[in-house]
Amino acid sequence: MGDQKSTTNPCHHLSPTNVRDLFDSLDAFVFDCDGVIWKGDTLIDGVPQTLEMLRSKGKKLVFVTNNSMKSRRQYAQKFQSLGIPVTEEEIFSSSFAAAMYLKVNKFPPEKKVYVIGGEGILEELKLAGFTGIGGPEDGKKNVQLKANTLFEHDKSVGAVVVGLDPHINYYKLQYGTLCIRENPGCIFIATNRDATGNMTDLQEWPGAGCMVAAVCGSTDKEPIVVGKPSTFLMDFLQKKYNIPTSKMCMVGDRLDTDILFGQNAGCTTLLVLSGVTSQSTLQDPSNHIQPDYYTNQISDILDLMT
Amino acid sequence: MDKKKNSVVTSAAAASVAAQPLENADALIDSVETFIFDCDGVIWKGDSLIEGVPETLELLRAKGKRLVFVTNNSTKSRKQYGKKFETLGLSVNEEEIFASSFAAAAYLQSIDFPKDKKIYVIGEEGILIELELAGFSYLGGPEDGGKKIELKPGYLMEHDKDVGAVVVGFDRYFNYYKVQYGTLCVRENPGCLFLATNRDAVTHLTDAQEWAGGGSMVGALVGSTQREPLVVGKPSTFMMDYLANKFGITKSQICMVGDRLDTDILFGQNGGCKTLLVLSGVTSLSMLQNPNNSIQPDFYTNKISDFLSLKAANV
Repeated sequence: MGDQKSTTNPCHHLSPTNVRDLFDSLDAFVFDCDGVIWKGDTLIDGVPQTLEMLRSKGKKLVFVTNNSMKSRRQYAQKFQSLGIPVTEEEIFSSSFAAAMYLKVNKFPPEKKVYVIGGEGILEELKLAGFTGIGGPEDGKKNVQLKANTLFEHDKSVGAVVVGLDPHINYYKLQYGTLCIRENPGCIFIATNRDATGNMTDLQEWPGAGCMVAAVCGSTDKEPIVVGKPSTFLMDFLQKKYNIPTSKMCMVGDRLDTDILFGQNAGCTTLLVLSGVTSQSTLQDPSNHIQPDYYTNQISDILDLMT
Repeated sequence: MDKKKNSVVTSAAAASVAAQPLENADALIDSVETFIFDCDGVIWKGDSLIEGVPETLELLRAKGKRLVFVTNNSTKSRKQYGKKFETLGLSVNEEEIFASSFAAAAYLQSIDFPKDKKIYVIGEEGILIELELAGFSYLGGPEDGGKKIELKPGYLMEHDKDVGAVVVGFDRYFNYYKVQYGTLCVRENPGCLFLATNRDAVTHLTDAQEWAGGGSMVGALVGSTQREPLVVGKPSTFMMDYLANKFGITKSQICMVGDRLDTDILFGQNGGCKTLLVLSGVTSLSMLQNPNNSIQPDFYTNKISDFLSLKAANV
């Protein structure tokens, strides 16, 4: 998982005494989205004002989300529909990460990519010049288990990308399984492995970790993970912003993805309790991931500074 | 989260000695009292009987051997398997069949799972039938395959707080509704058990090709709950202990015959039985002999009817 900061460093509760120093030492805030900015399609309160304040003080804002359902462009649209001005270039989604991984590793464009996941992955693959098949429309396909029916799969699929898929079904599992097991050299990529997420405002739902583990279960293979906590996306952030990671603060709600990502990259880390992690989970003896700071929600930054 | 599936440690002695091709079938047959057969890839492939099987089973019965059939396939109940054997012209008693659907119900009985608690099933009819026969109440199963969810503001999935166990097996009607329901039960109902009928990666549901197996559905729940299940099917020895107890058999007097190394053969080794791999199913000779493979059965042969031909040719 990479170098971690010493777990003997205590995690500080963000307070009026430490917030100013933290703020002044940083040039950029890197935000997770689910559980930090919004829950499903519901904005968490105080977010627009907090982001506005940060921008007005000259801080760069970056959004790194493991949710691969949308493309960067579709996320920018979501922000805008919620009244927050954010551009596509400020967003780094795991859907984008999957496409970039294939690009950086010179995936041959004549090979196809089978997608178990959302529209976002298909759009990013297309933008990067790749041919994606599968995706949401395979959610309607059924499987025939009859003696004389063969389940066919495209032999030119050279990679299977698995992400969050609320329309997961046996057809997709079987298709992806056959590609990985039978197409020589077929790569298995996971956008992320989050166990759960706040897909709606009222409760947590199974995350991509579920779909990815399903494919691990039928292939006996481990995937290449391109989303947090892997620092793959950090290279892209740094190319765009040219800010050292020591001057970045990663703000997220999940310890084993957001905080670990921040630590692995050498950023300061701030855990918010507005998502999947409670204070008791953070403080439980079985938890070994200690962020530098924690607070209830990001608007605390605004409240504590004024 | 990156943990590999629950595989029990192989016996050190067996791992170091390479499997021998079966030559003296009579000696093997005489050395044991009971033969345990896997089904897919040993007795049948999909719905087609493997050749020579009826005569082989008859031979063993004539020699006074007890026959038991242990399958990880949880889609049918023991009674439904009995029908399948009958359709293929084999005389096998329901009591000789142990499917992982039965194992799930038997396990819950063995721990005195309270009858006032419910069981949520992500799996097929076989599990439901066995649970009902054992007197348990269940929810879920195939009909939840038609349920849809809408991830929109204000939507809340409720779940029954009386669910005390979630049983997961092969499920061709698998969907997000079931994963969420099972996940909520495991995460939020205090003491809720998480059982898996089996974790086979692939299975021969039709004889023409491999199909994603129970390992896939179980993997999904492991991914969302971050908990490992208790596995009742092979290679776990639960079914072995159950039938040894039921029939009063000594395990060293058993020969386990199967086509899959990481379930059948491991099951036999974990139980302290003799093991015979047949090459009529998912495992080829090159897979057995691959340096990456550490599971070595005592013997291997092409198919079980070799008992007949090798018998004739034995020294």
